[in-house]
Amino acid sequence: MKGGSSIGHQSFVYPGSVLKMNALVALCHFCELHGPRTLFCTEALHPPSPSPSSQAGVPVPGDRDRDGDREGEGLTMRANSSTTQRGEMCDGCRSLPASHPGFVSIDDETGIRFLSHQHPRQPQLFSVVRQACVRSLSCEVCPGREGPIFFGDEQHGFVFSHTFFIKDSLARGFQRWYSIVMVAMDRIYLINSWPFLLRHLRLTIQSLQSTALKVFDNEQGVCPQRAVRMNSVFSPAVFPHQRSGNAARSLTSLTQHPNLWASLHSSFSWLLKACGSRLTEKLLEGAPTEDTLVLIERQTEQEEEMSCWEGAEGGGSKSQRHLSESELGHDFLCDYAKLDELPGPKFRSLRHLRQVLGAAEFRQLVWHVLMGNQVIWRGADPGLIQSAFTVLKSLVPVGCVRSVPYSAQYEEAYKCNFLGLSPDVPIPTHVSSSEFSVLVDVSSERSCQISVMGEDDVSSLYQFTISSANTQPTDRGPTLLNKLEVALSNENLSVDVVSHCLLCLKEEWMNKVKVLFKFSKVDGRGREDTQKVLALLGATGPGEEDNVRLLKFWMTGLSKTYKSHLMTAVRGGERSPSQ
Amino acid sequence: MDIRFEEPALTGSYDVVGSFPKSFGYGVEESSTSADKPRILLMGLRRSGKSSIQKVVFHKMSPNETLFLESTNKIYKDDISSSSFVNFQIWDFPGQVDFFDPTFDSEMIFKGTGALIFVIDAQDDYVEPLGRLHLTVSRAYKVNPDINFEVFIHKVDGLSDDHKIETQRDIHQRANDDLADASLEKLHLSFYLTSIYDHSIFEAFSKVVQKLIPQLATLENLLNIFISHSGIEKAFLFDVVSKIYIATDSSPVDMQSYELCCDMIDVVIDVSCIYGLMQDGSGCAYDKKSLAIIKLNNTTVLYLKEVTKFLALVCILREESFERKGLIEYNFHCFRKAIHEVFEVGTSPQGISSSSSSLTGLKYATLNGSAV
Repeated sequence: MKGGSSIGHQSFVYPGSVLKMNALVALCHFCELHGPRTLFCTEALHPPSPSPSSQAGVPVPGDRDRDGDREGEGLTMRANSSTTQRGEMCDGCRSLPASHPGFVSIDDETGIRFLSHQHPRQPQLFSVVRQACVRSLSCEVCPGREGPIFFGDEQHGFVFSHTFFIKDSLARGFQRWYSIVMVAMDRIYLINSWPFLLRHLRLTIQSLQSTALKVFDNEQGVCPQRAVRMNSVFSPAVFPHQRSGNAARSLTSLTQHPNLWASLHSSFSWLLKACGSRLTEKLLEGAPTEDTLVLIERQTEQEEEMSCWEGAEGGGSKSQRHLSESELGHDFLCDYAKLDELPGPKFRSLRHLRQVLGAAEFRQLVWHVLMGNQVIWRGADPGLIQSAFTVLKSLVPVGCVRSVPYSAQYEEAYKCNFLGLSPDVPIPTHVSSSEFSVLVDVSSERSCQISVMGEDDVSSLYQFTISSANTQPTDRGPTLLNKLEVALSNENLSVDVVSHCLLCLKEEWMNKVKVLFKFSKVDGRGREDTQKVLALLGATGPGEEDNVRLLKFWMTGLSKTYKSHLMTAVRGGERSPSQ
Repeated sequence: MDIRFEEPALTGSYDVVGSFPKSFGYGVEESSTSADKPRILLMGLRRSGKSSIQKVVFHKMSPNETLFLESTNKIYKDDISSSSFVNFQIWDFPGQVDFFDPTFDSEMIFKGTGALIFVIDAQDDYVEPLGRLHLTVSRAYKVNPDINFEVFIHKVDGLSDDHKIETQRDIHQRANDDLADASLEKLHLSFYLTSIYDHSIFEAFSKVVQKLIPQLATLENLLNIFISHSGIEKAFLFDVVSKIYIATDSSPVDMQSYELCCDMIDVVIDVSCIYGLMQDGSGCAYDKKSLAIIKLNNTTVLYLKEVTKFLALVCILREESFERKGLIEYNFHCFRKAIHEVFEVGTSPQGISSSSSSLTGLKYATLNGSAV
């Protein structure tokens, strides 16, 4: 098969159900005697789908072909309406002899089988392909006559077709008319594959044409047809003239290619496979949240980095990569995996955390988290700290989280806003005296044994001391925190309900962030206007300062796509006058 | 204004385009879709000569060049109305494809047709073509009974005269027998012997086109009056580009005269192209002032004069009659005016009797008559 190298994975986020790519490629020919005919057809069979014809394995080729012929391409004029003429195939329209078993290629990765023969195996595809063939050869026109066309409908499928000429010294106009069509039921898929299909089909066509041209030149050199024909018309010996004489010439004889059909099979199979793996669809329920977008962005970045690294270092640096990632704590998803592995008691939810720490301390801590200050936890149990971080991270958008779960040295605030340290790590004075950080010291009451019974009871095992140089009052705002506290203290609401409530609050405030972002950063409004917007957003009131801080902090968590989209949208468009 | 445009009774109505007078500002004239213009279909088996006929008659291709024509693989719709008086489309069909298959919309194809020309290759066995002829004609008749069915027995240049007549008689008989068997006696077929290597194809095409012109009787009348008053022997009203004549007087048409006139047009146009154009090559070889007088050495005079943008009058007369040139010119002047009036009348509500036959309209507008 052609080129097994990486094609480049492109994700296509697509609301709707996931479809199985089901397409086939066919070579069609306008036969001198019979009109539009399907010459050669490659289809992809997906393993799970049990189609009736595949149950018997590869059917007896002879039977199938006879059926195919009997159904007849159907568009040949039958002068006497007799059925004898129906099934005939001349050299021009028969590609593989009826006894030929066809070609099969099996894709080991996916289990898809690519089958090629003169006609498609499944009877329902037969009429679809015939229709496509007729339309492509006899109905649709493109400028210059050799080129790509897209047409189709729901009933007969959608077709991408590329017509072309093959030179033939014995043909009437010195050329014969062919086309390659790709038939699929998914319109959007085909249209999105247009550039890809065009590029590759052109290559195939050009190679066929150049091979045939060589044969043509040879034949013309031996015996120039123009002279022969001009002279023969007027000689009486010609009568009755050569009606069927040079009518049909098979593609094999036109190109003198020894393995024409086999090589076409491999080209078409590759095309189907590559086209299918180019685009993928993801099932999406509802519009994506900002968090999802950020996650997707990070994933894409990681993949790109991976491919860069692999390319640069020959793929042997996986361990290195993991190490650097764990140092920087990039991989959001990795945390989950590691957390389960660590033993010991853990924080289960925000409510649990609140319970253990106490309402006032909890509030203080969460206030710092929401303001974007650095949250440092120092303790001996990495699992506990990590669980705390997991719980706290859910308070802010994904884009705002930069965490180092456990480290032996202090990391600056710009690197991470969630920092876990081992017990004996000193905190630099500039940090401990800074307003923008909070430290939680975890100390265990009993220095050793953890009793089997109380394994999960965090509060009995540990003591938490929260310290911060912050002088701001933490009890006025932000509004989000106030609402959250109400939800947390309401014992009637289960943990799940509270987490959903938090999700909604986050979305609400993320939307406010977006408005503010557009207003202030993108449009560049002044203070007064911004104040008005803030009032509109409900961010004013007793907790205004805190709300504003929250909004500004959360602005850093917007996805890059969103930011760049807004920036370009504004620059491209006109500034809307203020009302 | 063409009232037919508004009349809802017309089924499958198309725009009566060519007969719109220039003053009619509807703008539909240029923009009418090709589906709306009436058409002549060229059908037949593969290699019978359909594309060659179309190219030789309307595109001035040399008959020898037709040997290298590519096989037609889709319906080729040739619109010649811009250069020819003949304001309809010629549809050249690929012989291999069955257009009665449900995949194709045979209704659409045949509804707007004025004439169907079936081409039979006389140099080959004609049993198969006869079968196809019967099939085609009977199906087309079902869709649209007003189509003129013409059969060209083609490529007769290779046959001797006896053979020609024999072939024509045989085909004629068999075709009509088939029709009688299918009880389609009302269906009338006309047969012509044609070849692209002489003028017979033009002659046959002329007859086909004439049948589609509703003003034919009037034109013939005018010509009769003109020649009787001017002492002219024979006159033809020619379409200059395609060299088919759309009307002649009532005296019988002699092939040689026709050929002579065709040749004359060729000469005149060729010379005009050399000497008649401006310095920079602009201008038209054939315009209002085109006039030619050729005196042959057997005392016959050929006289050509422009009638409309597409039509020319070509007359054959004796030298003695030509001495009264002034009279002839005056008569011609009246004749020309009358012709213009005929074609202008053609655009106004002549056939708009709200009689149900929508297809009188079909034959109606095959003309670019008003184009002056």
